[in-house]
Parts: sequence; structure tokens; C-alpha cells
Amino acid sequence: MHSTPQDLLDAVARSESGLKSDSFERLVVGRGSADSTAVHRALSLDALVLSLDSGRLIRSVADEATVSIASRSESYTLSIPARGQARLVANSTLGLFRGLATFEQLWYTLDGDKYLLNAPIEIADEPAFPYRSFSLDTARNFYPVDDILRTLDAMSWVKMSVLYWHVADSQSFPLEVPGFPELAAKGAYSKEEMYSVNDVELIIQYANTRGIDVVMELDTPGHTTAVGFAHPEHVACAGKSPWAKYANEPPAGQLRIASNATVEFVKRVFQSVLTMMTSTMMSTGGDEVNLPCWEEDEETIDVLNKRNIAIGEALNEFVVAIQGVLKANKITPFIKGDMILTHNVPVTNDTVAVVWQSSADAAGIAERGLRFIHQPSNYFYLDCGAGDWVGNNILGNSWCDPFKTWQRAYSFDPYANLTEAQFPLVLGGQMPLWSEQSSSENLDSIVWPRLAVAAEVFWTGGTLPDGTSRLANNVTGGRAAFSRLNELRYRLVDRGVKAIALQPKWCVLRPGECDVDA
Amino acid sequence: MGGYLFSVFVLFAWVPHIYGLWPIPRSLETGSVALKLANSFRITANVPHPPSDLSDAISRTVGHLRTDKFERLVVGRGSADSETIQHARELKSLTLALAPGSPVRSISDEAILPIESRSEEYTLHIPSDGSAASIEANSTLGLLRGLTTFEQLWYFFDGQVYTLEAPVSITDSPAYPYRGLMLDTSRNFFPVTDIKRTLDAMSLAKMSQFHWHATDSQSFPLVIPGFTEVAAKGAYSSLMSYSSKDIQDIVSYAGARGIDVLVEIDTPGHTAAITESHPEHIACSHASPWSQVAGEPPAGQLRFASSATANFTANLLTAAAKLFPSKFFSTGGDEVNTECYANDSQTQSILQSTGQTFEQALSGFMQTTQGALEKAGKTPVVWEEMVLEHNVTLSNETVVMVWISSQHAAAVAAKNFRIVHGPSDFFYLDCGAGEWLGNDVSGNSWCDPFKSWQKSYTFDPLANITPEQSHLVLGGQQLLWTEQSDPSNLDSIVWPRAASSAEVFWTGATLPDGSPRNVKSALARLHDFRFRLIQRGVSAIALQPLWCALRPGLCDGDS
Repeated sequence: MHSTPQDLLDAVARSESGLKSDSFERLVVGRGSADSTAVHRALSLDALVLSLDSGRLIRSVADEATVSIASRSESYTLSIPARGQARLVANSTLGLFRGLATFEQLWYTLDGDKYLLNAPIEIADEPAFPYRSFSLDTARNFYPVDDILRTLDAMSWVKMSVLYWHVADSQSFPLEVPGFPELAAKGAYSKEEMYSVNDVELIIQYANTRGIDVVMELDTPGHTTAVGFAHPEHVACAGKSPWAKYANEPPAGQLRIASNATVEFVKRVFQSVLTMMTSTMMSTGGDEVNLPCWEEDEETIDVLNKRNIAIGEALNEFVVAIQGVLKANKITPFIKGDMILTHNVPVTNDTVAVVWQSSADAAGIAERGLRFIHQPSNYFYLDCGAGDWVGNNILGNSWCDPFKTWQRAYSFDPYANLTEAQFPLVLGGQMPLWSEQSSSENLDSIVWPRLAVAAEVFWTGGTLPDGTSRLANNVTGGRAAFSRLNELRYRLVDRGVKAIALQPKWCVLRPGECDVDA
Repeated sequence: MGGYLFSVFVLFAWVPHIYGLWPIPRSLETGSVALKLANSFRITANVPHPPSDLSDAISRTVGHLRTDKFERLVVGRGSADSETIQHARELKSLTLALAPGSPVRSISDEAILPIESRSEEYTLHIPSDGSAASIEANSTLGLLRGLTTFEQLWYFFDGQVYTLEAPVSITDSPAYPYRGLMLDTSRNFFPVTDIKRTLDAMSLAKMSQFHWHATDSQSFPLVIPGFTEVAAKGAYSSLMSYSSKDIQDIVSYAGARGIDVLVEIDTPGHTAAITESHPEHIACSHASPWSQVAGEPPAGQLRFASSATANFTANLLTAAAKLFPSKFFSTGGDEVNTECYANDSQTQSILQSTGQTFEQALSGFMQTTQGALEKAGKTPVVWEEMVLEHNVTLSNETVVMVWISSQHAAAVAAKNFRIVHGPSDFFYLDCGAGEWLGNDVSGNSWCDPFKSWQKSYTFDPLANITPEQSHLVLGGQQLLWTEQSDPSNLDSIVWPRAASSAEVFWTGATLPDGSPRNVKSALARLHDFRFRLIQRGVSAIALQPLWCALRPGLCDGDS
């Protein structure tokens, strides 16, 4: 390849050093020692050669990872003969990068040797859905940049394509926005707990060079109390009690959507955040707006009375105005599903809805002909099941009990209740971590290896390579996905990601023997 | 001038108590004067020939006071106190002393005394004028408990270590002597360093018992002299086993931190791992379908009707007992599966030839194993089924652990056995994480839902127990079964929740101001404790958004 992009060279170097430093032994009784005879006798692989299909434009991995979601090229072929050279071929550097991730997962370690047992290998691969994502909430509790970078590395190992960054919320506003430094100066938990412009640039660049696009979400008009720390004039019902009447969780507070000054302010903030992004996508949020918050806000009441409009109209105007900023910048807007299904706001045709309340909501979005991503709380919420975090509530449980096991998430069908004509509307999906009960201390353990489930649901699609259905009744059993997921978990731990154990090790070493029906 | 003083007084009168002590002392008086530690601050023990583990404990406390960088949980964090700190008086020393006539023994020795004769009480005084603070106790163990209280009084800002609540006057002692944490090291293995870090955290919460569920059906990581083949073949690997040296290391580390190690070798169920070295002793080993003969895979239980197996077990327990200086030793006894034996021809032929019933044979086995323990000077500990579900003869000294349900404690008390509370409906740390068995798409945790700290905190040790029976309650513990845990999530699944029971059993039902213990006021202190754990390298999880942690009460359900 002429003029190989630097981020591809870096990726190759990371694969080489990853293969060298990995110490993962195969998960069988006896571990690596079970293979020692086979390893002794094995032939050597001399090299892996990467090449792009001829005539392809050579762009960096980062550039390929941020082209519009519909036109990304992630396909690749990988051939590992029983001797000689292995070959990885793709249409793009992004495809080559995906192939490297596959190559890394093929090898085991024993006494310094790297080996596999199943050559020759022929792989032809491409994703079923382009959007395979993790949504991280950095507002309820803060995550240092290093945690985010480690998470991006792990995401890239399972070929995830998007980090959806729920950066701010009512509890804190950790994002330094150029031209609006007061938002984080007053809204972040502390000056150590914020993302500077440089931090954001580092995170986005780190992500992009690992094949991951970063979609920023500025949740509006709800979930914005923290904006009021710097700009109380823009926030209604800030800190109002009882919070349960004015918000889904404390502290209460929403943008004064009816105020012209507030709309103009929000537009300028979005305009500024756009300058920090490399993505063609951005989310304006829109979940859980609370009407009593505005209905009891004197300033909002005044404006509505003067203009003789209802709050719903003000909400429509607000969304149109903010989406207008994105449209003017050729950015694809994302919005939370309840804005459409509950509030029926007018959105642009290219809007992507985030379906979150229930998997059953997807059909309603599809009926409106809008593209969407799956983020259903009843399958994909990583935070469910840890009890209530609200104080003085002894018997309180998680609102989205029970815990979403990997098996539950894996059983998700992206096409359920959709007509075939609606299938193209599904861009993919994401598992979110809402951080009321999470922080740096448990990020890895609550996210991994469960997040890898979404990676396979949306990469592999409905069919396994042997032609059987991924969703068949027995695929979560030990002999299918479970043993591969256990292996991925041990690989993550080997690379410093504290993914949790899914089973006693006894079971991990004996696929199928701990199935419920074994 | 008089008006100025008056206004200062009024201001202080409105400042709420801000201490973050966990567990909160039984009796506590605090003022509102700021004090900071002098650069020269030192702790001296006025104890003749202080035991080395007391000197070590003092060094650790001094070290923590220097290295903890915990800023107070208020809006603005430490900077909110910067003015106050500048003008604060300095505390130059803390003096430890034993009450006249008290024996001078090591903390380790005090921590492993019979549970009814341990002395953990202490008094702590910090004058507001900067003159020496003092801790007095009847034992070095009491002095250690006082040191952990002292450590929790201090905050950090800008190089200064300070408190805002002098003078402090504390008289403290535990409501219950048994305040434990159980860790299962068989389903998944935990390196010694993980266990030590856990012991450090336990010590900060004044916990007194580490219940080490060392072995189970999945692996047998305990290397027992004379029976080394059991771990050699039954551990996950040689690196995943505890040598005699490891065990000694853990026991002495725990003892120096005021923690007694109660080891459990679960019998006769939960023993499939023994089949790797001794298949002759195991019935229904790895039988399929496992669900007919075991609570979870793999199946396998000791052939208790066999006298060879009973003797093997008694000898193994005797050898294991020598590794642990504790008076306590648990032989387990939960979830014995009768179907396993119904299908085992060897067991059936023994029962037929001896004319014994299942229960008679089990009782014989128990007498052999419990007899061996008594001979080794141990107080036997068993799970509740041995008392409530089986008709076996046990010594009156036996301590019974209640786990299936909090409702079962009363029945154990009715049989006049001493009780340790470990009910799954309040104290199981592993509940709520979904099914871990394969091929079970909609399976949930058997003990759903997750036991929140609030749920654990509301446990009443004397519920359904008569006043005459209350002396039977030794205390209780939270438990981590490790089907879905290993070093990756040990800290995050245990802390800070395990501190809930530490306060339930130390403080008892009443707060120092006389009001009932309650989750509303506990939360702010538990946040404090959690942030202190993080300072010490324990990855305790967030209980709430930081916004809430900085504003006690504002995220309550009813605020």
C-alpha cells in the first residue's frame, strides 16, 4: 500500500504488541498445557499481509470511521493458510482495522508461543448494522479520560463503531464548551472533574483511530439543571421540591423553552459543541420532559400567555430551532423516542430516533418512517437491577429491574415487530450505562463483558456463519455464544479491563456443563 | 463584643453534626471547634512493652492520616473549610493507654479469644484546646477499634488534616461481637492480596470475623498438610491455591487488624472438587442432569454413610483446624441433596447392611466430624439445615448460621443454639445479577432482587427473638458467593454495602442521640466511608450521583 495512513500503521503496531504481550491461555481443562504437543509440532506463520482492494481511495481509519453512517465500509476477508503468509484484504483502512481485531482473537499463548489450532481459516466478514454503540453518562458521576480511553480500546476489540457520549445532565455539566467556559466552570463537580477542549479532542481522536465515531449528546430541554449553575436565567424549576413532582430524579430543572433568550443561548451552545466534533451525527436528547416544571414557572407562563400558545407549541419550536442548527451544519440529528411518541414534536426527515423506554416502541417509530437505533431499557440497560439509589427508600428497587443479563440482551431481535420494508430504518443499537450508581470504581465490571453482547447482536445479525439462527433457542448455551463470550472476558482481563466473571471457572473450562439443562 | 460572641454561638448551634463515623459509636459527643494535626503529630502508646502489632497499627494510622486525601463531602469540598482551617488550633499528639490492671496481649491474641470474652470497648477524647487526645481501653483490641474511629474524624485540604468537631468524647463498644463478612474462594479464586485489601476495609469498619468459605464443589484451593493431593488436583491450578504460608499470612494479617478467621470446609455437600483426588469418597460425582442431584453444577457429595469417608473427612478437618488459630471452625452442612445418595449404590448398600436410616447415618457422620473438631479445641459452626432440616445430634456449643431466610432465626433460637445472621433476603451480596447458568435466556438471580445497602441496614437482629433468647444472637454478616464474582469485581460488589451490617451489629438499634438507627441519616456517613475506602485503594462503588453525596437529604425519595 502506498502512503499508508499513520493510524493504520499504529493499529498494526498495536496488534503486534498486543499479540506479544497477551498471556491468555486457552479455556480448557489443563489450560494451555493441554495443547503443548500440538504447539510443539505446529508449523509457523511467517506474516500477515494487509492490502486494500485495488483502486480504492486510501484514507485514514479515523476518516473512514466518521464518514456518514450509511456509507461506511467495514468489510474484510482474512485468510490464514496452514503455512506461509496470512492475508487480510478490505475496501477501506477501516475494514483492515476490523480484520486486525479478528486476527488478534484467533491466538492463544503457551510458554511464550502464540498458536491456533484451526488453520486453515477463511473469513469473509461485514457488519449487519453500521451503528454498534455504547452510551456513557459522564454527568451523574464523572469518569477520568483514562477510563474512557480504556473503554474505547475494549470497544474496538469487539468492532464497535460508535461512542454515544451523554456528556451532561442535571447533576453536572463536565464539558468545556468554547465560548461558554462558565458552563463547566460552575456546572462540573470540580475543575478536576471536567473534560477540557483538549480532553475532548484526545478522546475523539483516540476513538476515531480505533474505528469509533463519537456522537455527542447534549440532552435538552430536560436533564439540564446543571446549566443553571452558570445560567440560572435559562432553567425553570431548578432544585424545586418535591423533586418527584418536577423531574424523574433529583435535582429538578429544565431549560426555559418558551424564552427566546434561552433558545438563542442553546443554539449557540450547540453551534459551539459542533466545532469540537468529527462526527456527522449529534443528539439533542429530549427524554423525560416534565410539564408541571414549566406549568408552574412564572417566566414560562408569562411568555406563553403573551404569545397565546400552549407549552406543546413552545416545545415544538424549541426542537425545530435546535435541529435547525444541526441541519445548517449538515449534521444528522438524533432525538429520544419519547419526543416523537409522547410529545409528537415535528422532526426533520433525516432524524434518527433513540428508542429507549421499551423495545415495543420501535414499531411506532418505524411507522413514522424514521430511522432509529435500539436502546431498549428492557434489554440493554447496563445499570438496571442495582437497587434504588434514592435516599430514605428502604424497599426501593431499580426502576428497570431485573438486571439485564448477557443472555437477555443477546436474545434481542432488531427486527422484531417490523415489516421487511421497515428493516432499512434500523441503524443498529447501543447499550447505555446511566451512572447514578457507577463511577470509575465499577465502570469495567458493570460494562464488561455484557457490552460485547450488543456488539455481536448488531455485527453478526440474525444468522451464525453455519447458517443457523443466532436467535435459536439454544444459542446462549455453553456450546455456542457462552463459551465465546467467556473467552472474550478472559481476553479483556488479560488486557487490563476488569470484566466480571460470568460463571465459576469450573464452568468456563467445561462449555455446556453448567447449562440449566445439562 | 458580647454580641459578637453571642452570634458566633448561635451560628455554631445551627451547624448540623457533620461526622462521618462508620459504624457510629454507641455514645458520642462532639463540639464545633476546628482542630488540625500538627506537622509533628504523633501517637504514643503508654503501654508497657507494647506488642508489635499495636505499634504497627499505630504506624498505619499515622500513615493513613498523612496519605488520605479525602476532602469533606460538601459543596465546594475542602475549600469550603479553608478559612476555618487557617485559624484552627493544632493537635500535637494522641496517647493510647490500657486501663489499670488490663493484661497486655497482642491485638491478634485478643481478636481470637472466645467470642464471648473479647474486649473491644474504648473511650476516645479529643479536647478542643489542642492538648493531647487520648484513647483508653481494656485491651489492645479496644485500642485498635479506637484508632479506626480516630482515623475517620479527619479531612484533608491543601496539605492540612483537620476536624471541625472538637471537642470529641466517645464511649464505644459493640452491640454484638460477631460482625463478619463471608467470602467464597471456591467458585472463583481470589489472590491473597485481594483478601488482604478486603481485611483492611473490614478493619476500618470494625468488623471482627472473616468467614472464609474456602472450598466447594467447583474447586478446593486450600492446601492442607497431609492432604495436599486434594488441592493439588482440586484447585483450579497450583497458582490458584492457598499454601500453608498463604493461610498463615492471611490469618496473621487479619489478627493484627482485629479480625478472627473462621474457616469453613463445607461438608458433606458442596464437595465435588474432592472427587478429583478421592473419587472413592464422592457420590453422584458430576452426575447429569446436575439439577436432579445438586443445587448447582457440578454434582458431588461426600459418601457420609461410609466410615472410611467419615474418617477421611474428620482427619482432613483436624489437619485443617491446625492451620487456623480461631476457636471457630465451620463444617458447613448446607443443601445436602438426598437424591444424590438415593442413586448411589455404595451409600444404599451401606445403609442396608447397617440398617441405618439416611438421617441416622448423617448424624453419625456429624458426630465423627464435630467430635474431631472438639478434640482440636474448636467450637463447631454449621449452616441452619443441620439444625432445622436434619435430625442430627450437635453439641450445645454449636453456632448456627441462618442463611435461607431471616424468618428462620426464631426456629434456631427455639432450639437454644447460638446464631449468626446471614439471611439471603437481607445480606447476600451476590443477589440480583441474573442467572449464571447457561442456556437460560430469561433466568434471574434466585435471590432477586439486589440487596441494597438500605435493605441490609434495616435488618433487625432480634426480630421474632424473645428477650430470653437474645443472648443467643452473636451477630451477623453479609456474604459473597462468587459464581459471578472474582478479583475483577470483588471491591465493587462488596463495598460499601458490607459496611451496612458492620453498623447494624456494632451500633445496635439506637443512635448515640437516642433515636432509632435509620437509613435517612446513615446515607451521608456511608458516603463518607465509601470515599475513605477509595482513598485506601478499595474500589467501592458510588451509591448516588456526586451531586447527591454533596447535599445530604436532597436526593431522598421524599425530599
